[in-house]
Order: sequence, then structure tokens, then C-alpha cells
Amino acid sequence: MNILLAAALKVVGVLVFVMANAFMLIWLERKVSGYIQRRYGPLRVGGPAGIYQSAADILKLLAKEDFMPGGADRWLWLLAPVVSMVPAVLVYLVLPIGRTFTLQDLGVGLVFFSSVTSFTLLAIFMAGWGSNNKYSLLGAMRAGAQLFSYEVPLILSTIGVVLIAGSLRLQTIVAAQTQHGWFFFEQIVGFIVFFIASIAELNRTPFDLAEGESEIIAGYHTEYSGMRWAMFMLAEYSNLFTSSALGVALFFGGWHGPWLPGWVWFLLKTYIVVFVGMWIRWTLPRIRIDQLLDLGWKFLLPVSVANILGTALVLMVR
Amino acid sequence: MGLFDRVWNAAKSMAVGHAITIREMFHRPVTVRYPEEKPPFERGSRSVPVLKVNEATGLLNCVACGLCERSCPPSCIEIVQAVDAAGKKKPWPETFELDLSHCMVCNLCIEACPFDALEMADVVELSSYQVQDLIFSKDQLTELWKTSKALRVAGGERI
Amino acid sequence: MADDRGAFPQAPARGVRSGAAMAGHPGTGSAPEPVLDGDAPPEDVGRRLMTVNVGPQHPSTHGVLRLIVTLDGETVVRVVPDIGYLHRNFEKIVEGWAYPGIVPFSDRNDYLSAINNEIAVCLAVERLADIEIPPRASYLRVLFSELQRILSHLLFYGTFGMDLGAFSPFMYAFREREVAYTLMEKATGARMLYGYNRIGGLRNDVGDEWLRELEGFLDYVEGQAWPEYMGLLIDNEIYRARTIGVGRITQEQAIAWGASGPMLRATGIPWDLRKTAPYLCYDRLEFDVPVGKNGDTYDSAMVRMLEIKESIRIIRQVLRALPSGPVLAKVRPTVRTKPGDYYSRVESPRGEVGVFLVSDGGHKPYRLKWRAPSFCHLQMVPLMCEGWKIADMIAAVGSLDVVMGEVDR
Ligand code: SF4
Ligand code: SF4
Repeated sequence: MNILLAAALKVVGVLVFVMANAFMLIWLERKVSGYIQRRYGPLRVGGPAGIYQSAADILKLLAKEDFMPGGADRWLWLLAPVVSMVPAVLVYLVLPIGRTFTLQDLGVGLVFFSSVTSFTLLAIFMAGWGSNNKYSLLGAMRAGAQLFSYEVPLILSTIGVVLIAGSLRLQTIVAAQTQHGWFFFEQIVGFIVFFIASIAELNRTPFDLAEGESEIIAGYHTEYSGMRWAMFMLAEYSNLFTSSALGVALFFGGWHGPWLPGWVWFLLKTYIVVFVGMWIRWTLPRIRIDQLLDLGWKFLLPVSVANILGTALVLMVR
Repeated sequence: MGLFDRVWNAAKSMAVGHAITIREMFHRPVTVRYPEEKPPFERGSRSVPVLKVNEATGLLNCVACGLCERSCPPSCIEIVQAVDAAGKKKPWPETFELDLSHCMVCNLCIEACPFDALEMADVVELSSYQVQDLIFSKDQLTELWKTSKALRVAGGERI
Repeated sequence: MADDRGAFPQAPARGVRSGAAMAGHPGTGSAPEPVLDGDAPPEDVGRRLMTVNVGPQHPSTHGVLRLIVTLDGETVVRVVPDIGYLHRNFEKIVEGWAYPGIVPFSDRNDYLSAINNEIAVCLAVERLADIEIPPRASYLRVLFSELQRILSHLLFYGTFGMDLGAFSPFMYAFREREVAYTLMEKATGARMLYGYNRIGGLRNDVGDEWLRELEGFLDYVEGQAWPEYMGLLIDNEIYRARTIGVGRITQEQAIAWGASGPMLRATGIPWDLRKTAPYLCYDRLEFDVPVGKNGDTYDSAMVRMLEIKESIRIIRQVLRALPSGPVLAKVRPTVRTKPGDYYSRVESPRGEVGVFLVSDGGHKPYRLKWRAPSFCHLQMVPLMCEGWKIADMIAAVGSLDVVMGEVDR
């Protein structure tokens, strides 16, 4: 009974956090893009610096008609947003938020993380195929090629860290950095590959081909509106947060830091990485699909493999 | 160019771009928050031709000569001259209608008027859901002249 | 890759059914539909092609351009531009209008370079009516048309960045455009469709204070904005990878399709009407004509960026040489032209804007033909896009810098 209660609490807690965090991030993205472009961003809805904007958006999206395009594949279309939420929520399970605070400290945390996030592709493909829209289908196909080919360097780039820390458990990896120093310094190549690949996994500029606005309108979620579209957005921003959090855990010492409690450090570092992601998004143009695949297979993959070999050699010699 | 050079140049060019955006981020935004703070109109901004009231007499300057009507390219001015009971023509317009939905704010009517009866107003908040609302009557045009900083610019003068 | 595709595709818009591309889609609940109609071009029968309507409502088509694109996966097999959504019957309407009214109406053709359009009309009418414009008007026309060129190229920079997926350049370009718009508003009373030129000169003169303000703006663009644009977008490696070699046209093709302006100069032909057929006082000013080498999208964008600098240089010279005097010649209110015809052409930011004016001696044109550079450039879309990816198509169409108001007239 107690276990069930604890599990229910965790689920509710994660859901609440996902919501609140996504609102926060959407607001932050608008503010960052605004100030980068010499605008104010949202202001008019109220609250300090227009922070109620996201709440107003949700109200608007709730009130919107739930419109299904004619000829859509009913179940695929209906389920896709829900499916996209599942991996977004599940990955919170293993995040090492504080020194002693992980929802479920799995021994294979890293593997769990990367295998669960690959489910996002399923949701995108369901949405793209189910919408009966050519732009959606193009977006889904692009996302398929992209997520598939960046999954590989993403995982390989983390192996260097795993080798040094000697564990797949995220808490252990973070703990290893408390003595050893941040892995960012030793694994800078790994971090760069990880960062590029995770931006690509998140479908953000310069790799936002799956929803490249000027080319295929909104990609796989062209036909979605109202709450279903909001779920895609929630999942997207939640993924932005979790993959930045993973980067922090692997390369920036996770919750490790002086004075402040661990979870504050963790959130702080994560938001800084998120900010860098936003900064990149509002600076760079979009890459083309063949260049994207070239970059993934011909550059990131060899580099990450070389990184693993180099790390292993150094470890062996030591 | 070797692979290493290419990667280096790419990284450098992107760093330049990021330096620019982060620098811009710490500058004041240039947005004018429109309904709350209205940007000042420059002197002589054009938005709608309006009828000028003579300061001395308090009447319209217009004598219904119809020159503006004829010089308006899309023909959006319609003037009916006033007549008295005996059927004699009077030097003022009975009706003066301006169809703002056609008007291209070209200033030609103002330049055509020999009596200094038309001026360009600088009110822009004139949009409406009904196209009929954009047909301005004589009284409305006079009212607009009174409430705006209307100005006549014509004939190569210096502003 | 797409260089040797000379022939215009024969497929009319009608030949390809736009609704039937997702053959055998499970959701449609019907038997798999044939991919193409019976009257599809023979080489397409049996191929699994997909037809997509890009526009008239699409985030990146400029205005209301519609491209009927046949795709093979991501690759563009055929693209047919469909125009006419913005048709306003300009040429016929002005046959019923007196000359002074045509000038402000011509603003609406290429609404991003209104001044150049006005100048084209004015030059034709003034020539046929034997009107000599005062020297100050001539210089001021040059000044305004160069300022207009800067404005238009700034917009090109912004929208081209947006086509390539970078949003901030758009906002930065508009930040500068806002300043320039305010300058324009001060001088002409309007922000976009100026109605500033008159037959015989200009509506009003500008004051010294305005000229000083303009100089400040030029300094700002040259010193701050331009390097920023280059650093943010043009020199960026992703941008280069996206544009170099894309949508390439050769010199012969450019000439054969009637390209002009930056599209022609990008191929390396130094053809600029301001140099080759000088009008107004351009022959008294010193400036260079930037040319490209390869005729790809990178070059045509680069030509435009360099033209911003040249325009600044021209305006500086005008400011130094600006004569005093009136700006409007004595012209009768109803301008009459002598019978005959004249083709006046000016170099607009997009290319050669031409006005062929036929007069029967009245105060209205007998016929007025408008030559729009965007219209000619749009014909090159199939040439530039076929065989490339969708993203390249967007880049190539963006680099044409079409203004649909001018294409449809
Ligand atoms: S501004 Fe031009 S279009 Fe408008 S009423 Fe006057 S002449 Fe007609
Ligand atoms: S030209 Fe002037 S005076 Fe004549 S009708 Fe028009 S407004 Fe009145």
C-alpha cells in the first residue's frame, strides 16, 4: 500500500513538475528570443515580465476546437500526442536531482534514459502518418531519418563518461565527479558531440527539420490544434529540460556545488544549458536534410568513436 | 582545405554569430508597445484627406468647385453642390463624401484644391468591420480635421 | 546538377492531381488511388510521386505565390509556379487615368520599391510631355531610389534568413528598416507607398535637418548594422552550406530567361541600368557594380549585400553634390503628352523595371505596359529548383526576391 501511494505521489509530482517546468521554459524561450531580437517578448497578459502568458495560452488551447482532419487514421492520430508524453515523463525517473534524491536510481539509468527517449520517434511518426497530410508525412520522414541517425552518436558520446566513472548509474556518475572534477574538461569532445546530437534529438534549430517552418509548415504537428498540440509542446519542452539535465549530470557535476543545496545547483546548471540551447536556436539558420545526415554519420559518429577509443587508451595506460 | 580547417572555420563563424546575438540581448528592446505608447507621427504624415474649417468664419473653405473630385484617380470623392430654394447654386457642398476604402492617400486632391479646403490628417485608427463605415461624410471629415494635426503639403515646398 | 535542364516543363497545373498523392493511405478507407491523373506526363506514370501545394498560404512563399511541386521523397521533380492571386488590373485601369494619378498607383506594383516605380512612370511621361525636371529633383530622386534600394535589400536579407530558418536576422533587418521608414515618413508623409514623385519633379523638398538625420542613418548602417548582418548570417557556415551552389544559373540561362538586376549580376554580368543606360543624374555619380561568379543563391544574396554599401556611397555623393533650387517644374495640372511611345527603364532593387508608354496625344496613356523583373525571375524557378531538395527550393525562391504585387500587377 505504501509503495503504491509513494508511486502515485511520484507520478503526480512528476506530472506537476513537467507542466510547471514546460510553462516556465516556454515563457523563457519567448523572453530569450524576444530580447535577442530586441523585442520584449510576452508582456501584455500580466504577471512579472508577462509570466502569465503560458497560463493564458493553456486556457486558450483548452477552449479550442479539437479538430481531426478528414481521412486521418483515427487511432494513430488520437494517440500520438499521448505517446509523445510518455517518454517525456518517464525519463524523470532516473534524473539525479539531488544528492539523495532520485525517483528510482536504476543501475542502468543511462541506458534507460536513451532507450526511453527513442520512443519520441514513434509518436512523431504516428502523428505524421496519421494526419493524412503531406507536410506531416514529410516532417515525420525527416524526423525518422534524423532521430535515428543522431541516436547513435548521442549514445556513443556518453560512453567516454561511463568509462571514466565505471558505472551506468547516473548517481554514481555524478558522485564520481565530486572527487574527480567535472567530466566536461576531460570529455570536451564527448560533450560537444553530445550537445549537438541532443539538439538534433530535440528537433531544435539548426536541426529543426521535422518542423521546419519555412519548408514544411509545422511538420508532423501541422494538423494538430488545441490540447493535442499543447501536449506535443509540453513533451518537446520537457525533453529539452531532461536532455539538458542529462548533460548536466554527465558533464557538469549534476547536483555538485558549494553552499546551495544539491537540487538548486542541478536546476541552475540545467537552466543554463537550456539557455544555451535557446541562444543557439535564435542564432543559426537551418541545416538541410542531406547535410544533417552527413554531419551525423560522417562527422559525429567517427568523432565519438575516436573519443571512446582515446578515453579507453588513456584509462588503460593510467 | 583540410577537414580540421573546415571544422575550425565553421566553429569560428558560428561563434561570431552567437557573439552578435548575445550582445544584442543586452541592449534595450526597440519595440514600441503600440496601444499603450503611441509613436509620434512625423509632421505631414498622411492618412486621410479631411475638410478644413476656416479659422475666421468657422465655415468650410470648400466652395464645391469639384476639382478634387475630378483629380482623384480612383474617384473616391463625391460632391453635391448646395442649392437654395430657388434652385440657385451656392458655394458650399451639400454633401462631401470620401470613400476611404478606395482612397490611396496620394495627396493629389489636396494639391488640386485651389481654395486650401483640404488637408491631410494623421489619424490612422480608422479601421472598421463594415466597409460602409469607411465612407466619410462631410461632418465626419470636418470632425477629423478638428481632432487631428492636419497639414497641407503641396507644390514642391520644403518641409 | 540542375544546370543542363533547359526546357520548361510541359506539365500544366491541371495535369497533376493535387489531392491524390498519398496512395493507399490506410485512413482514407478506399482503394489505393492512382498517384497521377490519366493526363499526367508520360515519364511520371508509374512513379510514386507526391504533389504538394506550396502556397498561396505557406509560411515562406513571398506574398501569394503558389508553387505546385511534384516531389519524389524530398527531391523536387517538377515545380510549376502559379500566379495571379494578386492581380489588380493595373495596366488596363491606368488607361482610364490621367497621368498624375498613375504615379501613386504604380507604387502598388512593387510595393517594396515604390520610389523606383514612380520614377519609371515619371521618366516616361516627362519624356513624352517634354518636361525638364530641375536638377535638385533629379538628385533627390536618385537619393530616394537608393534609400529605397537599401530598404528593399534589408527586407531581402531578413526574409532570406527566415527562409533558411534563422529568425533573428529578420528582426534585425526590421529594426533598421523602422528607422529608415521614419525617415521616409518625415520626407514623404508615408511609410511604404510614398506617392512622392510628381510629373515634373517631387511633391516636396527636404530640409537640411532631414539630410543630416539621413547621414546618421547611413553611418549607422555602414558601421554597425552591415557587419552585424554579415557576421550573423552571410558568413555563417550553415548559411554557406545551404546557399553555395544552390539554384545555380549560368550566364546564358540568365540572359535567355530575361533576368535582370542582382539575379543577372550574380552570374557575373555587370549589367546595371544605372551604368549601362544612365537615367537621372547617375552618370555624374561614382559607384561600382558588384557582380558574383557562380550565379547561385549565395552570389545573388551577396550582390545585394554589397549593393547596400554601394547605395550608401551613392547617397553620400548626392548629399555632397545636392544643388539648391526648386524640386518641381512648372507643369500644367492636366499633363498632355505628344503622340508617340517611349520605353523608360530604371534599375529597381529587383532588376529592370520598364514602362512602355504609348500615347495618342491625350492626357491619358493609350497603352501602358509594365515590365516587372520579378515576373521574369519567377520563370526561372523550375530551372533553379528541379532536382534539388525542398529546402533548396525554398532558398532558391527566396533568393529571387519576388514581389507578387509586381508579378501579378
Ligand atoms: S488622397 Fe488621392 S485617392 Fe484619396 S481622395 Fe485624395 S486624390 Fe483621391
Ligand atoms: S477642390 Fe477644394 S474647393 Fe474644390 S470641391 Fe474640392 S475641396 Fe472643395
